[in-house]
Amino acid sequence: MKEGSRRVLLIEDNQGDADLVRLRLIDSKPSVEVNCVHRLSEGLASLSEKTPELILLDLNLPDSHGSETFRRVLEKAPDVPVVILSGQDDEALAVKALHQGAQDYLIKGALGNGELDRAMRYAIERQALLRSLEMSRQQQMEFKNQFLSHVSHELRTPLTCIHQYANILMDGLAGDLNQEQRGHMSTILKSVNQLGAMVHDLLEATRAESGKIRIDRRCLSIGDVVQLAAAMMRGLARDKHVGFELGVDDKIPFVDGDPDRVLEVLINLIDNAIKFTPADGAITVQARLIPTDPDFICVSVSDTGCGIKPEARNLIFERLYQDPDAIDNSRKGLGLGLFIARELVRLHGGRIWVVSEPGQGSTFSFTLPLYSLHKLLLPVVTYNNLLRDAFVLVRVQLKPHNRPPLGNWKEICSRSLELLQRCVYLDKDLVLPPMATSGAEQSFFVVASTDMAHAEIMMTRIREQMAKLEDLKAAGESQVSVSAIPQPEKGQPLHRQVREIADWTTETIQAALGATEHLPRKPPARAASAGFEK
Amino acid sequence: MKENKKMKTAKILIVDDDPDLRQALRLRLRANHYETVSATDGYSAIAQAYKEQPNLIILDLGLPAGDGFVVLRRLQDDDKLSEIPVVVLTARDPQTAEQRALHAGAAAFFQKPVDNAELLEVIQATLTQTQSNLAS
Repeated sequence: MKEGSRRVLLIEDNQGDADLVRLRLIDSKPSVEVNCVHRLSEGLASLSEKTPELILLDLNLPDSHGSETFRRVLEKAPDVPVVILSGQDDEALAVKALHQGAQDYLIKGALGNGELDRAMRYAIERQALLRSLEMSRQQQMEFKNQFLSHVSHELRTPLTCIHQYANILMDGLAGDLNQEQRGHMSTILKSVNQLGAMVHDLLEATRAESGKIRIDRRCLSIGDVVQLAAAMMRGLARDKHVGFELGVDDKIPFVDGDPDRVLEVLINLIDNAIKFTPADGAITVQARLIPTDPDFICVSVSDTGCGIKPEARNLIFERLYQDPDAIDNSRKGLGLGLFIARELVRLHGGRIWVVSEPGQGSTFSFTLPLYSLHKLLLPVVTYNNLLRDAFVLVRVQLKPHNRPPLGNWKEICSRSLELLQRCVYLDKDLVLPPMATSGAEQSFFVVASTDMAHAEIMMTRIREQMAKLEDLKAAGESQVSVSAIPQPEKGQPLHRQVREIADWTTETIQAALGATEHLPRKPPARAASAGFEK
Repeated sequence: MKENKKMKTAKILIVDDDPDLRQALRLRLRANHYETVSATDGYSAIAQAYKEQPNLIILDLGLPAGDGFVVLRRLQDDDKLSEIPVVVLTARDPQTAEQRALHAGAAAFFQKPVDNAELLEVIQATLTQTQSNLAS
């Protein structure tokens, strides 16, 4: 390549047209080095090797046609300017490519002297300008996010102070309060908690926008999360004389979700429902299977409130949306709740929507993916397309010495899980992902394709390995208990289907966990404010 | 931490650069029969820990003269101080700070504003465990 020459990739299947382009560029200064290929596949391969300064692209090639051609080039080299070479008869196609991000188009056969060269220069300049605009946009976004994160952090210190001293007065640490004074303190505390929830939402929305929300997926009983949300919000509903009902289908298998986040979404929706439902109204929270979609469940929160106008139905999920006609206009909040809820649901792979008529109440619904035990089990419980002979469900329970657990309990649990992975045969035993538990106690389950005798050997191995885990010892005298439940043996081959094994596993786990609390660890900040009663 | 302190009032070192918050924590802890001492920055936190030999430290992370993480490391590196359990109480985002603090040796992590009942429960549990560790 000569010093200062421009490198251009020409993707054009017609040799005549390609030669014409070369001819037009022969006298360009600085000189142009044209690399010509005849197929899109060759063009994409060339882009993988070297990035040209510009791409001249014919949209109709032997291996790709029309807009699709441009889309694939754009996908491969989003930063390289593209000039479309169009025939007389398919100018419309070229215009469409412009809308999709092409820099320019030229009609082949009508290229004036110097026109191609000029178009190329402008295309390169425009692309560079676009790139710098995009960069400064990202910088601004980053700055805004940092700013918001800083603000919400700084707000916390004075907030904490008010919270602490209000509680000190409320709890009588500075002398007894009379009834009226207690009432005033209670109002202060309620407002502080609202403020706290807003600060939390501010940070959460910033995170959602910059894609920094983490989802910690667990094997989750949606019934438990609904119950917990109900327990937190019932008081608030009662205070407002709003009825509160639950309808959870108990046949729902486990859901694949982050217990804290799902709870946050539910609390958000219930909080809104209570806010917009007048006294003597009612709220219903339901969770059910979706007949048309076996991979998801649907959770809904219905109210008998004022309803939502059709034009607002899509807007309410956007950031900072406020209903201009809301009844309770004095405490509007930041308008981030539904935005955060939507982002959280999306991160789970679900969707959220509302059905509402003004005056008829609203139903907010969201879907969550089911935890597909069936898919996970398939490769381990079958061999040559046949189900293996016997199955045992092995349970490993970790109990911390202290309640709540101290130190790095979460990490100890995840290290134990790794250790457990090494105690099983990966081709015929399945270590299930962690179950959502209260965090104080963690249960791991292994579906082992084996009989009880072999399961005993595996359990001994697990006990030995766990005993070696130093951190587990360091976390106090934490208990590790390992137990096994064999699949019941019937006179006939009962479990012929993987699905039956999956059902058996689900039922057995549900029964085993039934006695313990398997609920999210901490209530989200919003719940703390909503559930406040003193 | 010898016999004379066992089961008697535990001494808690409060490290926070905000005087009002220190005072609030002091009131709260004293009401729950803990003895308190305090420090305002990273440097004096270590000095106070040496001098007072507290049973537990409540530590803010954003501190002048050596932030909370520096304090955690110094405590861990020092034979005379490494046994003192630390409860972190900070305005920082748990998503970025919690794992880091627990890694550095903190016994528990709380974001401000904290629920007092929860904080007191963890303080009690931590003290009980430290005591049983020492006994064994």
